[in-house]
Amino acid sequence: MINLQDIRDTARDMLAKGEVRTVIGYRRGTRGMLAEPAFITDPAQADDLVWNPTCFHNLSLYLVEDRKFLAHLRQNPGAPIGIVAKGCDARSIVVLMQEHYFKREDVYIIGVSCEGTGVVDERKLAPHLNGFQASDAVFDGDDFVFTTAQGEKRLPAREVMADRCLECRIPFPKEHNLVFGEDKTGRQLAEPFAALKRFEAQEGGDRWNFWSHHFDRCIRCFACRSVCPMCYCDECVVDSITFPVTSETSAEEKANRIRWIERSATRSENITYLMTRAMHLAGRCTDCGECERACPVNVPIRLLNNKMEREAREKFGFEPGASIGGPSLVASFLDNDPGDFIR
Amino acid sequence: MSKKRTGVFVCHCGTNIAATVDVARVAKEMADESTVAFTQEYVYMCSEPGQESVVQAIKDNKLDSVVVTCCSPNLHEKTFRDNAQRAGINNFTCEIANIREQCSWVHADKAKGTEKAIKISRSVVRRVNHNKPMDAIAVPVTKRAMIIGGGVAGIQAALDIGNAGIEVILVEKQATIGGRMLQLSETFPTLDCSQCVLSPKMVEVKRHPKVKLMTYSEVQEVSGSVGSFQVKILKKPTFVDPDKCKICDHCTEVCPVVVPNEYELGLTARRAIYIPYAQAIPASFTLDEDACLGLNPVRCGKCKDVCEAGAINYDMRPQTVTEDVGAIVVATGFDLYDQANMPEMGGGKVEDVLDGLQFERLCSASGATQGHIMRPSDHKVPKDVVFIQCVGSRDPAKHCAYCSKICCMYTAKHARLYKKHVPEGRAYVFYIDIRSGGKGYEEFVQRTMEDDDTLYLRGRVSKLYRKDGKVRVLGTDTLTGQNVEIDADMVVLALAMVPSKGTVEIAKTLKIGRDKDGFLAEAHPKLRPVESVTGGIYLAGAAQAPKDIPETVAQAGAAASKVIALLSQTTLSRSPLIAKVRRSHCTGCGMCVDACPFIAIRLEGGKAVVNEALCEGCGSCSATCLRAAIDVKNVTQLQIHEMIEACLA
Repeated sequence: MINLQDIRDTARDMLAKGEVRTVIGYRRGTRGMLAEPAFITDPAQADDLVWNPTCFHNLSLYLVEDRKFLAHLRQNPGAPIGIVAKGCDARSIVVLMQEHYFKREDVYIIGVSCEGTGVVDERKLAPHLNGFQASDAVFDGDDFVFTTAQGEKRLPAREVMADRCLECRIPFPKEHNLVFGEDKTGRQLAEPFAALKRFEAQEGGDRWNFWSHHFDRCIRCFACRSVCPMCYCDECVVDSITFPVTSETSAEEKANRIRWIERSATRSENITYLMTRAMHLAGRCTDCGECERACPVNVPIRLLNNKMEREAREKFGFEPGASIGGPSLVASFLDNDPGDFIR
Repeated sequence: MSKKRTGVFVCHCGTNIAATVDVARVAKEMADESTVAFTQEYVYMCSEPGQESVVQAIKDNKLDSVVVTCCSPNLHEKTFRDNAQRAGINNFTCEIANIREQCSWVHADKAKGTEKAIKISRSVVRRVNHNKPMDAIAVPVTKRAMIIGGGVAGIQAALDIGNAGIEVILVEKQATIGGRMLQLSETFPTLDCSQCVLSPKMVEVKRHPKVKLMTYSEVQEVSGSVGSFQVKILKKPTFVDPDKCKICDHCTEVCPVVVPNEYELGLTARRAIYIPYAQAIPASFTLDEDACLGLNPVRCGKCKDVCEAGAINYDMRPQTVTEDVGAIVVATGFDLYDQANMPEMGGGKVEDVLDGLQFERLCSASGATQGHIMRPSDHKVPKDVVFIQCVGSRDPAKHCAYCSKICCMYTAKHARLYKKHVPEGRAYVFYIDIRSGGKGYEEFVQRTMEDDDTLYLRGRVSKLYRKDGKVRVLGTDTLTGQNVEIDADMVVLALAMVPSKGTVEIAKTLKIGRDKDGFLAEAHPKLRPVESVTGGIYLAGAAQAPKDIPETVAQAGAAASKVIALLSQTTLSRSPLIAKVRRSHCTGCGMCVDACPFIAIRLEGGKAVVNEALCEGCGSCSATCLRAAIDVKNVTQLQIHEMIEACLA
């Protein structure tokens, strides 16, 4: 079990000593039980930090935001940023470092192990609470305990956990400066890629109907892209509206900007967007599942990313976020890479 | 920017294109494109009148770009770009639309073929709209060549290039040059002594003022491109100073370590300090670091004590030297297919079953037995010898699909050599069929059959095993339909030729392709047989395909002449179609740096930077970049986008 006070003490000490300039963690939000991202700069605020089953956000996103902000101010980072990171979050940080987005010494990773559980899926939880809102949620062994107006409700974590956590193979931040909680790597709560396998078991026509339905519903609000730490490009290739014009942009570039996708949120454009995003995340997505959680219309985006993740794993033995030094999936070529898909 | 004036020239290629594509319609459709100012069709665009009409049309119609819809750009891109230049416009504004290999040849339906040809042509017209005029990049040429592999191919190439007055570095992995040919006894079809033929060339190459010999050295790293390669070579320590060594042999007499002699293919043993052959060049002993007790006078030091010349120096260390060269010839030779892969032939574990090279050493006057043929197990003269051809070759199901080409000939030679040494012996040859194409080759095989009474049995061997001090060979004679059992004193396997281990490694180091069988791939099977796919790297000898000595020497000469032609120029023009970074889009993730096979991209200040001298314009970076921040000139994202749009329209 992770003692929350340890995280708070660490944050306070490091901030007080000036070892980190900020600690990015979770604090209690303003709606019910939900945690929200917290940016602690004052040691006195360290006691705001929380660690509970609603800490789903992948905070590495804010490392990206910080870097962009500093670049905008033309400032050097100075002291590192402390960040509370789960297994999947830490892997995202590794991918970002692999892509030279920032250096290892710019980040102080305060790892938290998900141990035997993970984070809650609100959609799974709702039916268990008889229509009441939970005002608090805590870890307790393999259970989650929720507080509602009806009193405490204890539920086995696996019943209300997010799919990505059930399927998670490494619920532990391997890359860390400091880590709390036990390494329960190898726990088998659900078969990896279980949701993907269920989906793939369907007939071709049914699969197409499934996706047609979801692609029709996507409103292209780009929440999935905004919440994704890997979608850090200044200009997204699927965008035709946010074309950055800098002092280096030539007149010709302005004139010749390419519209790979039209702005309308129609099926064909949505397919192009979501497929392009899946391709661009191949070998980079660490399955933090934030895109799917953030989606307001419940498009099962994880299925797409999972498919790419499994291809990378099975065909190329590649695990995103496994090591900082190694080459990325699409940039490396090995003699024994499979070539049987080329006909 | 004013509107382009593009000319489209549609070629019929006789009926090659016209039979499946309505060329007149292609021309008509192209004329409807807003940027097309002129269209023309002609039966053979690449013919002299065809080319002239292109030049004339460019001049008459004030065209500024050209699309020729014809065969693959591999064939006539240069022709038409030259024509564009002749007509006074930039050659990089001319592009080829391939409607032959990619359309007419692979389709039968004329209506659909025409549709596709139109789409291909239209996409190239749209692409050309965004082509920029460009000038070729001139790069200086380093007037030096390097040859990797000191076998007969490497030696011949070194001599030919050296004789043209160009400096050559000959790098050989082993302690002596000479390679496989030095291991052979006599050579077919003339039966002249292999070492006697080769050693004068070895001496010549050693003494040649333009040739720098680097034996016991390995190429570690190659960077750069045609005209200017930088090569890192590892000089392994021999621990013996070749200038001082007098080859007195005193060191081997005292050396206490005995290991199998790889130069004799394990038939004999050698000491830790050894000289491969009497004819070795450089004529010097080599101390095998792995076998030696420790290069330490405290532990042994006997060789150093006994060396009167003071040639032995335990303090030698590996050295890495960097050489600049303009061209490279790869002549890394072959190995034999591993017997362990052939369990039906004993898997290398049955005594007195030799491979062809071991038999060469047995027959060789410089070999372990001074040319007396005796079997390894008990040193008796074998009375029944079975030669088996096509072991591992021509077996697509389990082993190598290809014919190793030289086995028919050397097996016939082996049988003759055996009969010469042991006239009362019996030689049997199992064969599938005899492939003896070559000057004097068929006559040679006939003589082996008729004059030397060698029994040729058409069929394969199913199994062989040791029984009663002999090797029992079970096979079939398919001409009589009988099963054959022979109790042989010795069996010689004509194992398939495979590219040497060094070939596999060097292909990776040089980033040159290999074919499906693992041999080095030539740029074109017919028209560019000695060039690799990478400019400035040439191929010679059995590393490219199984071949015999005359062919190897001929190919080495051909590679040398290519090198001389290349290095006789003062500058080379390189294609300007190289990668270009859009700095505003680059996030500095470094994926392109990893993806670049030519090590042409580096990160500088958090952005990718392309080294124009190294970039080959392959586009790997562009394909890898998630941000569309790196493009190949004249194949930009925009152009690809327009081409896709033209195809989908």
